[in-house]
Amino acid sequence: MLFTEPKFWAFFAVVSLAYVILPHRVQNRMLLVASYVFYGAWDWRFLSLIMLSTVVDYLIGLRMHSTVQETRRRWLLFVSLAVNLGMLAVFKYLGFFVNSFQNMLAGFGYVADPFTLSIILPVGISFYTFQTLSYTIDIYRRELKPVRDFLDFALFVAFFPQLVAGPIERARNLLPNITAPRVLSWESAGRGVVLCLIGLIKKVVIADGLAPSVDAIYASPGPTRLDVIFATWLFAIQIYCDFSGYTDIARGVAKMLGFRLMRNFAQPYFAADPQEFWRRWHISLSTWLRDYLYISLGGNRGGHWKTYRNLMATMTLGGLWHGAAWNFVAWGLYQGGLLAFHRAFVGPHRRVGEGARRSALGWVLRIVAIVLFFQVVSYGWLLFRASSFGQIVDFTRRIFYGPPGLTIPEPPFPALVGLGFLLIWDLCIELSGNVKFYASWHPIIRAGLYAGMIYLLAFGATTQTSAFIYFQF
Amino acid sequence: MKKTALIIGLTLVFLALIDLSVHAVLRHAEASGRLGSLVAFFEYGRSVPGKLARWQDNPTLRGNLFDVSWRSAILDESVSKFADGSADNSPTIRSYGMSFVNNIIKRAVEKRPGLISDSHAGPGAPPNFTYALFQDDRQNRRPGDIVVLGILSSSVPAMAALSNRTWVFEQPAPFTYPVYWPEGEGLRRVEPLINSADAQRALSDNPTLQAAWRDQLASEDLFHAYSTFGGRALDASPFLRLVRRSVGTSHVAKTEAEILAGTHYPYDTVLRRMVSEFARTAREEDQIPIVMLIQSRDPRDADILAITRPVLEAENIAYLATAEHFDPRDASGFLPDGHYRPRVDDLFADRFLDLIP
Repeated sequence: MLFTEPKFWAFFAVVSLAYVILPHRVQNRMLLVASYVFYGAWDWRFLSLIMLSTVVDYLIGLRMHSTVQETRRRWLLFVSLAVNLGMLAVFKYLGFFVNSFQNMLAGFGYVADPFTLSIILPVGISFYTFQTLSYTIDIYRRELKPVRDFLDFALFVAFFPQLVAGPIERARNLLPNITAPRVLSWESAGRGVVLCLIGLIKKVVIADGLAPSVDAIYASPGPTRLDVIFATWLFAIQIYCDFSGYTDIARGVAKMLGFRLMRNFAQPYFAADPQEFWRRWHISLSTWLRDYLYISLGGNRGGHWKTYRNLMATMTLGGLWHGAAWNFVAWGLYQGGLLAFHRAFVGPHRRVGEGARRSALGWVLRIVAIVLFFQVVSYGWLLFRASSFGQIVDFTRRIFYGPPGLTIPEPPFPALVGLGFLLIWDLCIELSGNVKFYASWHPIIRAGLYAGMIYLLAFGATTQTSAFIYFQF
Repeated sequence: MKKTALIIGLTLVFLALIDLSVHAVLRHAEASGRLGSLVAFFEYGRSVPGKLARWQDNPTLRGNLFDVSWRSAILDESVSKFADGSADNSPTIRSYGMSFVNNIIKRAVEKRPGLISDSHAGPGAPPNFTYALFQDDRQNRRPGDIVVLGILSSSVPAMAALSNRTWVFEQPAPFTYPVYWPEGEGLRRVEPLINSADAQRALSDNPTLQAAWRDQLASEDLFHAYSTFGGRALDASPFLRLVRRSVGTSHVAKTEAEILAGTHYPYDTVLRRMVSEFARTAREEDQIPIVMLIQSRDPRDADILAITRPVLEAENIAYLATAEHFDPRDASGFLPDGHYRPRVDDLFADRFLDLIP
């Protein structure tokens, strides 16, 4: 059940109707059932994993909170980590490591048993395991009190708008939304609708429109230099629109139900350096990695070299979080390297084009830095999108020594119109510093904007829709 | 609440205003012959009966496909061409395919000027169209002729369709063809009730036949759907046409994926039997059968060489599989419209010439 499919909106209409007439406690029970139905529509067998994670972390949370003894608390945390990361290890990484081990042995001339593990990856497992882990870690750190109502906790784990591709919510943000009665307002619902509209435009009009052009080049045995460069730029746009589109719809749907999910993207391609980029891209994951991994490893407290080591380790694991493949490891290493390089040569607190708003030269510098850094980020997406390590090497070589010509299939016209609209939309947010920049406009202008967005969606929603890229993670 | 209601109301008013403006612009553009591709874009979502009626009423309309590739017309032309060429007994390449096949044979004839070709084709023609033409054109072939059956990978799912109108939603050429089902060791041919442009034109005067034809499409054609054929009144709005285009293309893509997944229709079995029957029939009549397997660039297409190879090898049937000579994943080999570039057709033409005496 994709957000882009009519059946999701039919499902949501039924849920919403029931929701508005039910009292708060019953709303939560109904949302839990709806969330399990939503997830079960993908594959009902994997509901058992969500339930296991829910039961284990609920019990551990309660027990940890009532336990004073540190050793015992540490053991309880270990059990939570073992269960959640164990599930991830089995379902996401076991096949990868077994195959890599077999390949390594083959490299030394040993032929290992030719068995291949074919484990189905449960959709959204990386997202909800990280979400429940943050709950137990926060209780362990005494930053959070456990929730008493088991069904409320189950809803925190399985809340359907953000279950399969985030944002990875923190308990301290989402749980109060669940336990306390929510206020439904027309204004908030209206903002939810606008978020859904912009999310659908990003996904259906732009990301799905660009996908065939990108796919054609990544499947091609002999792309030209310009093909690789254009496909890399287009994929950078595709993945942003695909993932942030999903997040916008998730946040919009939640907002219509009175929930407030965290912002996951803040115009990432207006970043001028890697540190700024990671403050704008997949914010729920980058802050999770910072709070629970980077800081746990020591953060920047152990001198330069330890800081670089921690950055590299955090980003490499962040890369591996995306998928069990060496190209994700390479992408993580690349991002870690960029952060370490930036820290070493620019400094942790200095911004490229700092003071841009104070002078014309500052503006120019900042725009140049943004354009240049976009190339750096885009190359990272080449590592991410490549289907093998060999393709990374081949495409990198082609960027410099590839044959001339341009054969990439032309993106559809509506995708380009949508892209132009998105650029203006993101610029408005960036320059005003307000995601609801349109809220203060006169109702007539707002209505015109919404009508235009609906028309644009219909204009561009003619390409074949595909699953969200981040569902595979 | 009051403000929200106002904004919702105003949004609907604006939506209607935009729609009316677009409608006016498109009418003006169409009348003045400008913005052709934009007008066509907004026409793609018109219902199939709406498009056919428009084409029928306006024969000079740009992109009108009403009279294209009806089997009856192709066969009539074939009869007269055969009669005209009866004095010349030179072996002829008689092909049953689509533009891809025509392009290759055209290049082959240019390379070997003595060759004579007689092509029968339809736009994006599925194998059931090409195979039916081959069957029906029997009397217009001679011993010694080279007979080419074209199979286009992207059209394979349409083997479960009776007409391009049901599966090429944006440009639903109304020409028809049979659907074949496995029966015993052979194939059962389900003939469409409408087989000519004239019959299609006269349909509105015969409500009984119209109803029967609608029922046949609904029961025998796996692509037929209310979303593409129903609600003709909605065609008046460009906005609703855009929405229908999205729904219609999604329906076709979903049906194609289901067929390729092996549900609903045994396209692989039917394809193998078609190839086998084609070769047997041609050989019985002392003709040389050649199967041309055109793998188009969509990676989701059926691998037609893998499907037919067992029959081709077991029965020693000559074939040209484009995928063996040019990687269909190589975007550099294709024109923006999806056809192969002339240099690639040249390559295929050379390989085709290797197959013929």
